[in-house]
Amino acid sequence: MKCPRCVQRIHRAAASCPHCGFTLADADACFGEEEVRIRSLTDSAGILRRGDREKVELAMERISRRFPQVFVAIYTGSLGEVANIRQFGFWLLNRSAFEDVPVEKPNEVGILITIDPESKAAGMVFGYLLDPFLEESDTFECLSRAHAYWLEGRYAEGILRVLKHLDGILRKRSRQARRDPEHFERKVTPPAQMGDLVRRIRAGHRAVIQQDETVEVVP
Amino acid sequence: MRFLPVIVTAVFTATSHALVEPALPVWNLKERAELEAVGWIPGAIFLTDTPVPDEPLQVEQPKPEEIVDDLKASPEIAEKFLPAYFAERPKTFLVDPQGLLSPADYRDRLSFLNYHASDSSIDLFVYVMGGEQEIPSDVREEEVIERFFSEGRPAVVVYYYLGAPQRSVIYLSPSITDSISAAEQHRALESSVMQAFEKIRPSEQIEKFLVQISIRIYWMERMLAGGPAAGDADPSARAAVVRPAVAGSAQLIWLQELALKFAFPAALTVSGVLLVFALGFWRRVSARYRFPDLEVEPRLGGAHAAGVGAVISFASAALPPASQRDQVPDYLRRA
Repeated sequence: MKCPRCVQRIHRAAASCPHCGFTLADADACFGEEEVRIRSLTDSAGILRRGDREKVELAMERISRRFPQVFVAIYTGSLGEVANIRQFGFWLLNRSAFEDVPVEKPNEVGILITIDPESKAAGMVFGYLLDPFLEESDTFECLSRAHAYWLEGRYAEGILRVLKHLDGILRKRSRQARRDPEHFERKVTPPAQMGDLVRRIRAGHRAVIQQDETVEVVP
Repeated sequence: MRFLPVIVTAVFTATSHALVEPALPVWNLKERAELEAVGWIPGAIFLTDTPVPDEPLQVEQPKPEEIVDDLKASPEIAEKFLPAYFAERPKTFLVDPQGLLSPADYRDRLSFLNYHASDSSIDLFVYVMGGEQEIPSDVREEEVIERFFSEGRPAVVVYYYLGAPQRSVIYLSPSITDSISAAEQHRALESSVMQAFEKIRPSEQIEKFLVQISIRIYWMERMLAGGPAAGDADPSARAAVVRPAVAGSAQLIWLQELALKFAFPAALTVSGVLLVFALGFWRRVSARYRFPDLEVEPRLGGAHAAGVGAVISFASAALPPASQRDQVPDYLRRA
C-alpha cells in the first residue's frame, strides 16, 4: 500500500505515513473535514451525456448486483492545479456519504473512480473490504483500458471499459479467495513483533509452545 | 525498257477490242410486217394478267375398288385393343395399350398421375386414344365407369383423344357424381382443353391438359370438403392400383425413413446440449460473488479506506499506460 501524498510504501497498520507523516487530517485541511453528500455517479465536470449516464449507471448496477457486498462510485470534476488526485480520492471515499447507496453498504465496500478532465488524470481508490484482494496493479490495469478512449474525450466508453475489466478482476479474486482464503488472510495479519519471534526461537518453533504460551498469558 | 511502248500499245488495243459489244439482232422487216399483220405484238405475253396456257395434267383416275376400300376404313379402335381398354379396372392411371405416346412421354405422364394420386383424394385415370379414333358403339362408357369405378377411391376418368383434345370426355365415379355438378365437370373439361390448345404438339397438349384437370380436381376436392372422403372407406381398393416407382423415389423413401428413425434422438441430443449451454450461461450471468470479510486495521486515519490504487494520466498519447506503470513520486523520477 502506498501513501497518497509521497507514493511510498507504508505498512499495514500505519497511523501516518512513516515517510512524510501524511494522515487523513492533512487531506481534511485541504478539502474540508465535513461529510460530503453525493450520488454514486457524480458528474461535476459534465463530461457525460444523458445516454452515456444511463449506460454507465447500468454497468455500475451490474457490478453491485454481481458482487452484493460491493458498490462502485464515480466522481468527475476539476480539482485545480494544486489538488492531488490521489489525496482527493482517499479523502472523498472517507468523507462522502453516497445518497443512493443502501445503508448496509458502507464506504468500506466502495470502489471510487475519480476523473479530472482538466488535468487529464484519473485514479482509483477502494475501501478496506477489498484491501486484501485488490492490488495497485489491478487498478492500474483497469484504468489502462480506458486510456485510449479518454485521450479522445470519450469518457463514457472509457468508464465502461474500466468497469468491465474491474468486473473480471473482482470475479477472479473472489474465486481465488474461495479456493485459498488463507492467502488473503496472511496479507492482513499484523506483522510479527520482535517478542513473538524471540519466543518462537526459544521454543524451537514448536506449535505446542503456543499453547503453553497461551496458558501463561491468560492469568 | 525497249519493249515498253509495244506492250502499252498491245494492252490498249486489247482493251478497246474487249469493250466493243456484239451487235443486237435485227428484225427482218418483211417477217415483222407479216407477224404484225396477224395481230402479234412483241412482248405482249408479259403485258397481260392472263396466265400462260399450260399443258393439261394427266391425272390417273382412282379405280372403283380403291374407292370401295377407302369407304371400308373404320375410325373405331381396333378390336384387339378393346380388352386392354375396357375389360377391367385399369392397373395404372394412364391407359395407352396402342402405344400412342412415346415411352418417355408415357413415363412422364404416368409419373405425374402418380404424383396427383399421392397428393389428392380423387384419382385421375386417363384413357389415351387416337385423334380420329372412335370407341366402338358396343362399348358403353357410362357402364364401364359404373362397373370399375364404383368402389375404391373416387376417380375422375378422362377419355383423351391424342391431337384432338376437344374430343375429350370426362366421367366421374358414381360416389362423387352427385356432389360435382355437370356444369362444374364441363367447366373443368373446357378449361383443360383450352390449356391443351396452347400447345401444338400432341404430347405437349396432353401434358397441359393433365396439369389443368389436376388443378380442377383440386377444386372439386374443395367442394367435397366437409363430407367424408369416400376413399377412406376401403383402403384396400387404393392399394390395388399399382404405381410404378419413379426414379429416385426409393432413395427418397430411404432417406425419409432414416430421418424419421434418427429425428427424435437427434432432436433430444441437440436440445440437451442447448439446455446445458443455456444453464451454463444463466449460471454465469446470475452468479453472485462474495469476498471474505477480513479484519483490516485502519491506516492513515481513514475510517473507511486507505487503499489508494493507481493514478493514470491521459494528457498525451506520447505518455502511454506502459510508461506509467511505476507509480513513484515525482521527486524520484529522473529529469
